[in-house]
Amino acid sequence: MNFRWEIIKDYYPLFIEGGIMTIKCTLLCVILGTCWGLILGVGRTSHAKHGISKYLLLLLVQWPVRIYVSAFRGTPLFVQIMVVHFVLMPFLINPRDGLLVSDNLISVETARVLRTQYGAFISCVIAITLNAGAYISEIFRAGIQSIDKGQTEAARSLGMSYFSTMRKVILPQAFRRMLPPLGNNAIAILKDSSLGAAIGLADLAYAARTAGATYGSYTEPYLVISVVYWCMTFLLSLLVQYMEKRFAKSDSH
Amino acid sequence: MYSKIIIRFFIILSLFVSYTASAEKPNYVVGSGGTYRPFEYENSNKELEGFDIDIIKAIAKVEDFNITLINTPWEGIFATLDNGERDIIISGITITDKRKGTVDFSLPYFPAEQVIATLPHYDISSIEDLSNYTVGVVTGSTADTVVSKILGRNSSSIKRFDNTPLLLQELYEEGINAAVGDVGVVKFYMKMNPEKQFNLVYDNNFEQQFFGIAIAKGNTALQEKLNSGLKKIAENGTYAQIYQKWFDNSVPSLPLE
Repeated sequence: MNFRWEIIKDYYPLFIEGGIMTIKCTLLCVILGTCWGLILGVGRTSHAKHGISKYLLLLLVQWPVRIYVSAFRGTPLFVQIMVVHFVLMPFLINPRDGLLVSDNLISVETARVLRTQYGAFISCVIAITLNAGAYISEIFRAGIQSIDKGQTEAARSLGMSYFSTMRKVILPQAFRRMLPPLGNNAIAILKDSSLGAAIGLADLAYAARTAGATYGSYTEPYLVISVVYWCMTFLLSLLVQYMEKRFAKSDSH
Repeated sequence: MYSKIIIRFFIILSLFVSYTASAEKPNYVVGSGGTYRPFEYENSNKELEGFDIDIIKAIAKVEDFNITLINTPWEGIFATLDNGERDIIISGITITDKRKGTVDFSLPYFPAEQVIATLPHYDISSIEDLSNYTVGVVTGSTADTVVSKILGRNSSSIKRFDNTPLLLQELYEEGINAAVGDVGVVKFYMKMNPEKQFNLVYDNNFEQQFFGIAIAKGNTALQEKLNSGLKKIAENGTYAQIYQKWFDNSVPSLPLE
């Protein structure tokens, strides 16, 4: 096989910017997805013992979260990105008749700039965040449920409220157990961001497609980006390992 | 008893006949990406149709070979030649020098005329004006080459999409300010989507480029066959017929030298 370096050389700025875009997108999605997943996960595990609040919680929190999680885990991310980009975003910020524009929440000019400059990026971040939130909520649920019931009971009998029990007792312990699956999830997000290339997100995969189509050869660009993706996920896994060790230390005293 | 033997004899005979028939006529596997109406698209029976498909069928007829058409995604379509999955690719491929490093091309079979599509409120009247805007193109298309020259091929003002319908929907929803694409495909999209009408801007400065049929590098025998077929259908009027079927009466004269 003859490997033509000039294909990469010709497009190297696109590859570098693409790499930066991939990192930006991943970072944002991991942070937003974790926050969103935490909210959903806490919602999913919330429960009340008595009376009407039990049914209200079931109807307004638990079931909506269940349906949300099943919907986002049950459809391909690629399809979700397409739906967000071609249905949800035009519905919200289309300069012509978008909901936010008609309601004067954002001006036509802003909508135009948002759509043309950051359209693909926003759509991609929203879609991946919504998707990751569904998976991460289940990680939180598993983490929270893995903590012994006695912990909650002890905290509550000390007079702590439900939320401070969660924040000060349950979540710190659960978080340590959740680190490995959360790390997995971050790696998945990094790889999944490549799907954004289909809507014009200028990431690594986009650079490969562009260079590949111009030269009519996909060997070089895809081999190169697979190595880059691998390096990125490898570094990420090292980071997760390091964090696991750190948190394990704080447990030992 | 005898009837069984006779039936077997006929089965074997028919197998033999069909085998020798196919041995006489070579069969080539033709790849084409089915998302480029009216050049190639898949109809509801999952058969490929379009201008390109008619052209390759006409060439196969005059050059006396069989073809097997396979819908092949544009991404990676060139690699299928190299690894032998396809013998011929006809998929609205613009002949460029860079691609000539990877595949060989037939003579040109279609002049790819480019058009700028914009929404009415943008002040775009020539390709130079594009430098102030976000411009969408189909990845690796003729338009990609042209716009890359103006804005710089690594510019973030160029957004590349998989196919023309995707590109034009993005334009309609103002994800881009302008789109550049093949006249035929853009016009066809507007015909199919009457609610989505764009301003079309023609510019004589678009470099004339042509579509060619791609084959594996060094397959000169097949290349000569395609070229002679192309010349034959241009001479006998088949090309004009096919052109009129998909486009209009302004049949171009091709540089078939």
